[in-house]
Amino acid sequence: MSRPDYAEISVEHLTKQYAKVRAVDDLSFTVRSGRVTGFLGPNGAGKTTALRMILGLVTPTAGTATIGGVRYVDLTDPIRHVGAVLEASSAHRGRSARNHLRVICRAAGLPDQRADEVLHMVGLNTVGTRKFKGYSLGMKQRLGIAAAMLGDPRVLILDEPTNGLDPEGIRWMRDLLKALAAEGRTVLVSSHLLGEMQLLADDVVIIAAGRLIRQGPVDEVLGATAGAARVRVRAPEADRLATALRDAHLEVAVSPDGSLQVTGAEPARVGHLAFAAGIELHELTGESADLERAFLELTAGKAGAR
Amino acid sequence: MNLFRAELLKLRTTSLWWIFAIILVPLWGVALAYNWLAVEVSFSSPEANMENVGFGSLETVVSGLYTCGQFGGVLLVVLLSAILITSEFFHLTATSTFLTTPRRELVVIAKMATAVVIALTVWLFTTLLNLAAAPLVLSTVDKPSYLGETFVWQAIGLNALAFVLWALLGVGAGVLIRSQIGATITLSVLYVVGTQILTIVFTVLSQTVWEPLMGLRVLVPTLASELLITGPMLPDDPPRWVGGLILLGYAAVTAVLGTLITRRRDVS
Ligand SMILES: Nc1ncnc2c1ncn2[C@@H]1O[C@H](COP(=O)(O)OP(=O)(O)OP(=O)(O)O)[C@@H](O)[C@H]1O
Ligand SMILES: [Mg+2]
Repeated sequence: MSRPDYAEISVEHLTKQYAKVRAVDDLSFTVRSGRVTGFLGPNGAGKTTALRMILGLVTPTAGTATIGGVRYVDLTDPIRHVGAVLEASSAHRGRSARNHLRVICRAAGLPDQRADEVLHMVGLNTVGTRKFKGYSLGMKQRLGIAAAMLGDPRVLILDEPTNGLDPEGIRWMRDLLKALAAEGRTVLVSSHLLGEMQLLADDVVIIAAGRLIRQGPVDEVLGATAGAARVRVRAPEADRLATALRDAHLEVAVSPDGSLQVTGAEPARVGHLAFAAGIELHELTGESADLERAFLELTAGKAGAR
Repeated sequence: MNLFRAELLKLRTTSLWWIFAIILVPLWGVALAYNWLAVEVSFSSPEANMENVGFGSLETVVSGLYTCGQFGGVLLVVLLSAILITSEFFHLTATSTFLTTPRRELVVIAKMATAVVIALTVWLFTTLLNLAAAPLVLSTVDKPSYLGETFVWQAIGLNALAFVLWALLGVGAGVLIRSQIGATITLSVLYVVGTQILTIVFTVLSQTVWEPLMGLRVLVPTLASELLITGPMLPDDPPRWVGGLILLGYAAVTAVLGTLITRRRDVS
């Protein structure tokens, strides 16, 4: 047995049955520390419900979710262990951001000055005394992060934190989450933005219709699907090139614009085969593995919004 | 204790408390005017043959004067207590609150403690005003202040008890009726109009169906608290402590039920 990981999130056979839908259905996965884990799934896949069950806000119909082996509700001083940013996390409209954070400090027995420290950290220190109702969407997300960081937790759980952020804000969030993971913390973040996830996540957990589709490091998930490398080539003698590539057991598709899509080979190999056959090339482009394509392929037909 | 301090900070950091404080003053003024009138009417009649119990007795009139602002004060306390709970859902702060304190029953208990503090503050405030104003009013009809009489202090003490019990009832009601608007409207209507309507209902019922039903009217929370503070009105009425017990019963039932519901309910 290896040393127990005090920051590992473990979800086992988690199920939530609402009156009409099974929002989460026998879901099991683990989230490791020191890495950013992307939690992906189409609308209504059950991401929010699963995260809320991990955080003890929604009672599971069956199954368990633990953090470092302990259920959230059994943690002493939970916000010193786990920070959460949820879609609906909000503050009283008439209360200032600073007071909102101080209320949490009081309840958790943290010193009031933590409120100012985290405001500084997310860049809200100059507007901390302004009322919450005057906050923009981006400021609200930053306040959510600030609240999550109050207890300096080793686990962070975020539900679509980049919602409503501008490009600069998204970049800020990405750098922050990567830095936090690099410090050895566990970061579980749900999102729809697959391009963003590809830049951010080390691991992914993909669910659809409440069930696990795939879990693992991003590279592995990409390698195991048709999201794998593709090459686009253009040649005056397209037919002859297609034949030459097929003879080398490559999968070739002809695009409407006359270019060829080659799957299962690197650009170098395609270039070499063309050269050997004496075929002139006008374009040779490698298309890198793409999380979006892999995601769409994996979740195809598995239910959209329910 | 941390939770209680957090709740007090929540209360202090929104504008609600001083809006309620501003409403309280005119309500107290109206109550004082009403009781002043009662004093004038009761004491100025030349015969002044005042009975010892019941409506218009010396005890009731003077007690009423020293507990001015109870009707409006309790209403405000009940509403504020309910809002302590409902605003968590109205402003979606329940998520943050229960993430910080997953043992939700502790949150409800802290809110009850806060409601009790609010109740006692309002009670203290109105009582201080009454202790200043009542002797002046009584002097206009050439009467002493009656501050040496035990019944005055008893009324003031029972008034505090009523405030506290209503505050607990308000928290319980807030949990049961989670909607902010729903809870405030229900409580206001029940409290303000409900008393009169239910009294009429009980009167009609007792006259048409079964005479002793009239005795059951003290089961209505507002009438129970009236019994607690002003004492029996009709000869058949039960003694004061029954009113207190009934109110306590309501407060306990709503609080326990409310806590159980809060523990199980999904926050989403
Ligand atoms: N409180 C609820 N009562 C009934 N059904 C619910 C409730 N909450 C969620 N659902 C249903 O459960 C399913 C999963 O919802 P959930 O919000 O977890 O999805 P999601 O993956 O977060 O979606 P999105 O990407 O749109 O945020 C949906 O079909 C939703 O309608
Ligand atoms: Mg969601």
